Amino acid sequence: MDPRKIMQPSFTAKYVSYLVPALTNIGKQASPSVGRCIDAEKIVRYEIDMALALSAEGFAWSHALEHKLRLNVDNHNHAGKSQSYLAHDDDHRNTMPVNHEPAAKKLKVDRTRSEPEAAEEEEERLTYLRKLIPGGSGEMMVDDETLLSELGSYVSCLELQVNVLRSMLQFN
Amino acid sequence: MNRALPEMLQCSDMTVLQRQRARLKWQTEQLRQQNYFCELSGVFTSQTGFQQGGLMNGAGGGDSVLSNMGMSRQLKPDPGLETAWPELGKINMGFGSCGYGNGPSFDMNHAISRTSSCPPAVAAAVGSKPVEVKGNSEKMGSAVGRESFKKRKVEKLQNSKVVAEDEYKRIKASEEEEEESKITGPNTIKISNNKKQNSGDTSKDNSKVSEVQKPDYIHVRARRGQATDSHSLAERVRREKISERMKYLQDLVPGCNKITGKAGMLDEIINYVQSLQRQVEFLSMKLATVNPSLDFNIDNLYAKEEFPSCTTNFPTVGMAPEMTNHSPFLQFNPIQQVVSGCGVEMGMGMGMNSSDMALRRTISAPVSIPDASFLNTTCFTGPQQQIQPSAPWEVELQNLYNVAFTDTIEASDLEMEM
Repeated sequence: MDPRKIMQPSFTAKYVSYLVPALTNIGKQASPSVGRCIDAEKIVRYEIDMALALSAEGFAWSHALEHKLRLNVDNHNHAGKSQSYLAHDDDHRNTMPVNHEPAAKKLKVDRTRSEPEAAEEEEERLTYLRKLIPGGSGEMMVDDETLLSELGSYVSCLELQVNVLRSMLQFN
Repeated sequence: MNRALPEMLQCSDMTVLQRQRARLKWQTEQLRQQNYFCELSGVFTSQTGFQQGGLMNGAGGGDSVLSNMGMSRQLKPDPGLETAWPELGKINMGFGSCGYGNGPSFDMNHAISRTSSCPPAVAAAVGSKPVEVKGNSEKMGSAVGRESFKKRKVEKLQNSKVVAEDEYKRIKASEEEEEESKITGPNTIKISNNKKQNSGDTSKDNSKVSEVQKPDYIHVRARRGQATDSHSLAERVRREKISERMKYLQDLVPGCNKITGKAGMLDEIINYVQSLQRQVEFLSMKLATVNPSLDFNIDNLYAKEEFPSCTTNFPTVGMAPEMTNHSPFLQFNPIQQVVSGCGVEMGMGMGMNSSDMALRRTISAPVSIPDASFLNTTCFTGPQQQIQPSAPWEVELQNLYNVAFTDTIEASDLEMEM
């Protein structure tokens, strides 16, 4: 907890300091064209994610994210694009019984569940959370307790990231 | 305990039961005299449910049980008593002086003190012994319990771990008080596990058990209704840590205050994470479309014309509470205004809000005036210009943040409670 508190200002600083030049470089390199636009999106996404990973060092999820990003880049290097680290999770997004997603398929377990099923539901949710957080399925976060800690830092970093991105876009 | 008697009656070995019952009675009496234990044990009696339903709780619960209900309830030896154990240990010493014989009790305390992770079983007064009153097998799921009571004793006798307990009992002039939930380092499982069925031995072992040397184990009194083995103890620790994390997450995720269930909380967390990720994705796409023509308005972060208070477009709920009420922010404003007074026309006059807020959120410490000077000088290339010295302002940005950062470290305690 404490490291996270201390981290927030530095996170934003690092994030901005990484992302802005990166985006500026993209703008310089790419010539506006339809094809490039698509790539630009992915590149921008990559830089955004990488900025997140690099700004929040010391967490299992940030290491996993960085690793995944670099792997993606290597895989798609020739194409010059990279995927969002969440890309593989898109299919999961709609299967989670989220309150604000009425179309989402409900979890197998009914909400009105009895005691023994509650643990099972929790397990399902934890499993789902593992898919959401980078590195959630890795060996670093096998422990539920670690998973929840990582979730805490991940959530707060995501918030910071969103704030920075919004502010960057605010005046454009 | 007469109340226990009917239940005990179902046990096959009446002799043993009777004997133990007698002991229990005696111990109960002793415990009753030590009612203050209840407070200590209150630590782990929190979950105690002394209903017929028989919630078993920590040994501490046993105490309360004893004092309140007599031995009608069965206390499951629980290895998990962590917190009050040491205190109970001390009380045990007090008990020892009551005539229990301090030697063995001290031994037990020593065993306790040796313990690092497992709270020592304050065999003492916890009087968990009464736990024995297994008659109440609710916990066990009825009939089994009764038998297991007796069997447990038997098992305990078998177990070397039991020795410590026996020793304790001996102190009290009672023998085989196995119920005590002793959590002995490695293999406590056999002991006092309500679920345990029977070792098949009889109470005859009691006498010789009492002679056994107390092993070098950590003896922890089990909570009422909980298992005493080291696995369940570790499990309980783990569960507590998890609930601690969950509480932290609850503070982090907006709107979770009313949700009580773990599953519900996890649901909310999932929703929130997904929502944040979607926002990032959306903003990323937006940024990509804007990017080619992006005059990086990072400088806008520094140049504010005004500070409108609207922050609604930000998912800052999680952060706002931490940051909004700090006077440093107020101090920051004048700097901003000074900066904006420099005549930079940012074209976007919409009040930095978000960017400002973002900045403010991240810098919780007051920014000294010297830093403001660089704000004056660097950022104002005007909206139409690219950020020329991305490096310089970047560096200064870092400086700014570093300054704030160091201050923040000290201030962090004040700001955020986590």
